[in-house]
Amino acid sequence: MTARSMSTSSVNSQRAVNNAWWSRAWSNNAPGYLFLLPWLIGFLGLTIGPIISSFYLSFTNFDLLTPPRWIGADNYIRMFTNDPKFVASIRVTLFFVIFSVPLKLAFALGVALLLNRGMRGLPLYRALFYLPSLLGASVAIAILWRQLFAGDGLVNQVLANFGIIGPSWISNPNYSLWTLIILSIWQFGSPMIIFLAGLRQIPQDMYEAASLDGASKSRMFWKITLPLLTPVVFFNAIIQTIEAFKSFTPAFIISGGTGNPINSTLFYTLYLFQEAFGYFRMGYASALAWFLLLLVAAFTAFSFLTSKYWVHYDE
Amino acid sequence: MTSEAPRLTVVTGSEANNAWRKRTFSVISHGLLIGASILMLYPLLWLLSASFRPENEIFNATSLWPSSWSLDAYFRGWNGLRVSFSVFFLNSFVIAILCVVGNLLACSLAAFAFARVPFRGRKFWFAMMLMTLMLPGQVTLIPQYVLFRSIGWIDTILPLVAPKFLAVDGFFIFLMVQFFRGIPKELDEAAMMDGCSWWRIYWKIMLPLSIPVLATAAVFTFIWTWDDFFAPLIYLNEMKQYTVMLGLRTFTDSTGESDFGGLFAMSVLSLVPIFVFFLLFQRLLIEGIATTGMKR
Repeated sequence: MTARSMSTSSVNSQRAVNNAWWSRAWSNNAPGYLFLLPWLIGFLGLTIGPIISSFYLSFTNFDLLTPPRWIGADNYIRMFTNDPKFVASIRVTLFFVIFSVPLKLAFALGVALLLNRGMRGLPLYRALFYLPSLLGASVAIAILWRQLFAGDGLVNQVLANFGIIGPSWISNPNYSLWTLIILSIWQFGSPMIIFLAGLRQIPQDMYEAASLDGASKSRMFWKITLPLLTPVVFFNAIIQTIEAFKSFTPAFIISGGTGNPINSTLFYTLYLFQEAFGYFRMGYASALAWFLLLLVAAFTAFSFLTSKYWVHYDE
Repeated sequence: MTSEAPRLTVVTGSEANNAWRKRTFSVISHGLLIGASILMLYPLLWLLSASFRPENEIFNATSLWPSSWSLDAYFRGWNGLRVSFSVFFLNSFVIAILCVVGNLLACSLAAFAFARVPFRGRKFWFAMMLMTLMLPGQVTLIPQYVLFRSIGWIDTILPLVAPKFLAVDGFFIFLMVQFFRGIPKELDEAAMMDGCSWWRIYWKIMLPLSIPVLATAAVFTFIWTWDDFFAPLIYLNEMKQYTVMLGLRTFTDSTGESDFGGLFAMSVLSLVPIFVFFLLFQRLLIEGIATTGMKR
């Protein structure tokens, strides 16, 4: 009898311990998860779930009306062997990234260096240069750009004053992409602000010490400013490159959604949009999306891996 | 200490020369900067003046001053489509304001959890959140579209607004986490001692102290949703539901070729809200970018 009562009491105490563990785990973790709940639902339902299902869809034929049909790797095979528009869109996007990002960063850094030398009126200049970055993504600006570089647009009117008859920049496949690159460079304001913030962080006594040692300005730039600024350069380069990969609105508006002339402004995102919402080839578009994900991931991984050779970190 | 002496001689030795060089340098750089500003802002000013010009003058004048001012283009443009721009502006405002509310609520809740509330797996989820920052939206686009279509949300503003209440904009979570971490922990520890719940700490202590970061997030959310073209393009097909950006795009497709004045006038109006935010919150925006490195 005693034994029996003992065993029940030990079961009870075991249960009590379990209950205590649960209630402790609950009271320790529940508040955090409750605060996190909206994000968690969004993350699982609108990010992770869709990523997985778009991976699945990329192996199917799916037109939205009939259920997806499994076709294996056909979408990927078609992409790489039998789709000139895919090749064109890759070429356009890479060209855009390779030219717009470095030029934009060079402008941003150049102006930031100039402004950082204790210029008077810095807040005004900074605000003026920043304005295009803020407005630039708008449809209105894309419309303006289309007008500027049209055959009878502002640019050609200005050129005409110098006796130059310019082409219709936006309808000439040799120049159309460049008008978009110029639009991107025009928005150098936000990386410039980040550069300015980075330049502030460089301790002034380093320059004083260097100038005592008789270092020239250019030497100080290459030996002090630039190395200490590499983390900011790295950051800006990553952000701007990802932004450039994602660019859509200007090309869509300027080419009227076609990516023409002769696919010269067929950005990857634009081509994906056409496949998905123009032709309703959702399976193929999912494959395109997954390739973009891999491209961006590979780029990011590559930059982080190589960064240790050129990005200067304290400690 | 020993370096004091040589520095003095250096300064006195070339003082006059230095002052002269400094002045020339400053004149040259101001010249460069003013030139660059004019070059950059010229297109915007040209757009503004073109919207006030008589129609026949738009394409043969490089000057910024119209020969005569008129508001005709604004009236023509406002009613240039089947549905008037007042509807588009109203739609855009409703969407943008709902997105602001959603982002502020949901992102600050998540940020508070990441910054303050201890729980198992916090580091893991935070890392997951940072990964979503790098994610190209195209990967989630099609399944999201299928999902929203299956629950009958196409041609409503829900696909544009509802995700904000689930904190899909990781940038703002990140921004707020950074800010919350700067608020002294003693404050919530003291409140804890007094028996405050996490919710009260969040609502009564954290949020009131975080007005600057909330304002930054609100302004950026407003501008980004106002500017957004892609999501409305996909989800809104009825002209009654168009945002200003979709209205502009339709304008370029249909009447745009004949009525440039009206198109330009509506373009100018579509930029006005952003410009107003720029004037009012310039400092907030610039600091927001400088501290977190947001994209624009």
